[in-house]
Amino acid sequence: MRVLLFGTCLVDTFFPEAGEATVRLLRRFGAEPVFPKGQTCCGQPAFNAGYEAQARAAAEHFLREFDGDDPIVTPSGSCAAMVKHHYPRLFRDDPKLLAKAKRAGERIHELTQFLVHVAKAHEAGLRGKGTVTYHASCHLTRSLGVREEPLTLLSSLKGAAFLPMPDAARCCGFGGTFMAKLPEISCALADEKAASIEATGADTVTGCDSGCLMNIADAMRRRGTKIRVVHIAQLLAEGL
Amino acid sequence: MSDAEMERIFLENAATAAAGTHSVSDTGDLLAALGRVVAIDSPVFCPGMTELEKAAAALFPVRAADYAAAAVTVEEVFGAVAETGTIVCSSEGGRAVQAGLLPAHHVAIVRRERIFGTLDDLFAAIAFAPPTNVTLVTGPSRTADIELTLAIGVHGPEKLDIILV
Amino acid sequence: MSPEQTSLAFRANSVCALEDSALRAAMKQATDTFGTKRADAFAPVADLEALRDRASAIRDDVLANLPMYVDRFVASATRAGAVVHRAEDAATAREIVRTILADRGARRIVKGKSMVSEEVDLNSHLEAAGMEVVETDLGEYIIQMEGETPSHIIVPAIHKNRRQVGRLFADRLGVPYSDDPQALTKIARKALREKFLSADAGISGANFAATDTGSLVLVTNEGNGRMVTTVPPLHVAILSVEKMLPSLADLPAFLRLLPRSATGQTITSYVSVITGPRKPGDATGAKELHIVLLDNGRTEILAGESRDILKCIRCGACMNVCPVYRTVGGHAYGWTYPGPMGIILTTLLTGMKKSHPLVDASTLCGACVDVCPVRVPLVDLILGLRKRKVREGFADPRERRGMEAFGKAAAKPALFALGQRLAGAFWPLVRALGGKDVAGRMPSPAKTPLRRRLP
Repeated sequence: MRVLLFGTCLVDTFFPEAGEATVRLLRRFGAEPVFPKGQTCCGQPAFNAGYEAQARAAAEHFLREFDGDDPIVTPSGSCAAMVKHHYPRLFRDDPKLLAKAKRAGERIHELTQFLVHVAKAHEAGLRGKGTVTYHASCHLTRSLGVREEPLTLLSSLKGAAFLPMPDAARCCGFGGTFMAKLPEISCALADEKAASIEATGADTVTGCDSGCLMNIADAMRRRGTKIRVVHIAQLLAEGL
Repeated sequence: MSDAEMERIFLENAATAAAGTHSVSDTGDLLAALGRVVAIDSPVFCPGMTELEKAAAALFPVRAADYAAAAVTVEEVFGAVAETGTIVCSSEGGRAVQAGLLPAHHVAIVRRERIFGTLDDLFAAIAFAPPTNVTLVTGPSRTADIELTLAIGVHGPEKLDIILV
Repeated sequence: MSPEQTSLAFRANSVCALEDSALRAAMKQATDTFGTKRADAFAPVADLEALRDRASAIRDDVLANLPMYVDRFVASATRAGAVVHRAEDAATAREIVRTILADRGARRIVKGKSMVSEEVDLNSHLEAAGMEVVETDLGEYIIQMEGETPSHIIVPAIHKNRRQVGRLFADRLGVPYSDDPQALTKIARKALREKFLSADAGISGANFAATDTGSLVLVTNEGNGRMVTTVPPLHVAILSVEKMLPSLADLPAFLRLLPRSATGQTITSYVSVITGPRKPGDATGAKELHIVLLDNGRTEILAGESRDILKCIRCGACMNVCPVYRTVGGHAYGWTYPGPMGIILTTLLTGMKKSHPLVDASTLCGACVDVCPVRVPLVDLILGLRKRKVREGFADPRERRGMEAFGKAAAKPALFALGQRLAGAFWPLVRALGGKDVAGRMPSPAKTPLRRRLP
C-alpha cells in the first residue's frame, strides 16, 4: 500500500531521525511510504497565531502536494488535527478547496492510529527495553481523540515495562508560539510535566509530537535529569 | 420509582449532604424524634401553622417569638427532592423561609407524600406560578473558601435535621 | 477595591505570580482538589453528554432570541412586582444602584457575591457616596478586607492560604490568631451576622433569570445570598442580560451541571428562586425588589463572531483545568474574569487595545473545552480573537514580519529548504541575538534534514 508521508516541519528540520524511524516502521508493516519532496509545513504556527492568510497559503500548498487518494501518515497528532479539523474551516468559503480539505482530513492518519488500526503493529511482537512512560499530547488526545492507540503499542512491547504518568494529558507548556510569547509560564509548565515524568521512575519518556518532546527535553536538561526523551516512532522502530 | 424507593434515595442523599435524617410513622413518633433531636431547653421557633407544627410546638417549653432570636427552628416544609436529598422551603401561605436560615439548628418536618422524585418533578409543580420565595436546601450551610477546606455553618444553620413523617 | 485593568501587563504579572511560592502552592492545591471533586461528582451521571447537549441547546436558543427573552423577563418580573432597570453600560448601572439606595436613605449595605458588580466596580462607587458596603461571601469578605479583587469567579480568595487568612483576621478584627478554616468561618459568621440584621439594603447577583416567571435564581452555599435577599427591607439584584433561561422549568438541567462543574457538589446547599418582592400575606422577601439588567457590550458581542462566550454560566471549570490559570492565578489576567472564559470576556468587554496580550495566554490545549458544561467552544473563540488581534494591528511587528515570511516559504519548497539551511547555519547567531527564550530551548537544526535523507 502506497502512503504519503508528511514529515512535518519540526521533524524535517530538527528531528529527522523520527522521520526515518517512521519510514522503517511503515515499510516493516507492508506500506510503501513516499515523501512528497515539495512538502513544507501544515500552517499551524500561522493559524494558531491568528495569521489566516499565511495559514491558508501553507494549507493550499499542502493540499497540492498531498493530492490524490493515498492515505497520508504523519508522526504528529497536532499536525494531523490541523489538517482534519482546521483546514475545512480555512476553506469554508471555497467549495473546491473545502472538498479537498475534507478529503485530506479523511485520508490523514497520525502514526499510531495507522500502526494500530491499519498495520496491526501491536500484534507484531515488537521488542522494547527498560521502563517507559508516555506524555499524551493535547491535540492528539483532545482534538484528534487518539487516546488508546499509543498505549496499546507501548504495552505490547516485549521486554519493556510501561509506567503510567499522573495527569498524562496535562499540557507540557509548548503550545507552539506560546513557548516564545510566554516563556516563563511555558518553562513552569514544562517543569511540572518533568516532575510528573520523574515521579514515574521510568528511564524513558515518549510521545507522539516532537514539539512537546522538545519542550520536555529542555526541561530535563535544565533540571539535570537523565531520562531519555524520544519520539514514539524511534522507540518502536528500535524494536523491529 | 416506587414510594419506598424514593424515600430510601431521599434519605440516603440527604445524609450524604450531611443532614441528620429520621423517619417516623405518626405524630407520637414525631414528638419522640423531636425530643431526641432538639435540646429541650433551647429557645425554639415553631410557626404552629400546620397540624404537625401545632403538635410539635406543644413540646417545647421555651418558645422564641421571633426566629432571629431562636436557637432552633422546627417547621414543616413544602416538600423534598429525592434526586438530591433536598428539602424545599416555600413562602406560600405566609411562611417565613428565612426562619430556617437564621438559627443555628434547622429541623425540617417533611410528609412522605411530599417527596418529589427529581428536580424536574419539583419544578414542573411550581414553575407555573412560583410563590415569592422557593428555596432548595441541601444539608447545612457550608463554605470551602479557605483552601477549599469544608467548613460548616457559615451564615445559615450549622445543623440540619430532617424528619420524614 | 479598585480593579484597575492591568491585562496589558499579563506577562509581567505572570512573572510576579510565578515567583510567589505561597500563591503557586495554593493554586496547585486548590485546582487539583477541584479536578478530583468535579470528576467524582460527574462519575454517577449516566447521560452527561446528553445533559450537556440539552443545556447547550437551551443557551443557544437564549442567544438566538435574546432581545425577545429579555423583554419577556422584564414583563414577567414587573408583573411579579419587581422594578426592572436597563443599564447600557457600567457607569449607568452604578448610578442606577446608587440612586435606588440613596433615594431610600440606605447607608448600610450587605452584599452577596456578584461578578457583574465587580465588572462595573460597584463597591467603590457606593463607598464614594458615603455608603458602607460589606461583602458577605466568606471569600469576598477576606479579599475586601485585604483590599484585593477576586482571583477566581467561584472561590475569590483561592490564592490565599489559611495562615494568610488567619493573620488578616487577627490584624483587622482583633481576634486571636487561628489557621483553622472552621474557626475562621465562625469568626466571620459572628462579625457578619450583626451586619445582616442592621442592613438597610442587600445587593446580590443572580445565576439565572427565568423569563416566563420573572424569577431570579441564586445558587449558593453559605447562606449569605439568602440573608442578603430576605433580611433587609430592600433588595437590589444586578445581573447581565445573557443570564436568561426561557423557563423556570429549564432550571433542573443547569442545577445538575453548574454545582458539579463549579465545586464538585451534586447540588449547592441553597438554591433560591425569588419571584418579585414580598406581597400581601407574605412573610418572606424584601419589601422592594429592584433588578438592574446590565448590557455593557453584550449586545455588540451577540452580533459578532464571539457570541458563543455568552453561553457561559460562570462555573469556573475552565479555569480550574487551564494550565496557565493553574500556574499564575487570576490576578495576572488583570481584570474581573480570569482563565479561558476570562481571556475572551475581558478582551470583548474592555477592548483589544486594553487586553490584547491576554489572547496569547493560552496553549490551546483544549482542557477547558473538555469540561465546559454548556459546550462553549473556548479554543475556537480564542483563535478568533487572535485573528482579530492581527487584523486590528496589535500583533508584534517582528512576529508579523516573521509570519509573512513563513507564509511565503510555506508555499515555496525551495524557499522553505533555503530557510531550513540558513537556520542551521546561523543557529548559534539566532541564539546569541536574544533568541534564548526560544532558540535556546530548542536543539540545533539537523545537519541533514529529513527531506535530504529520504529518496
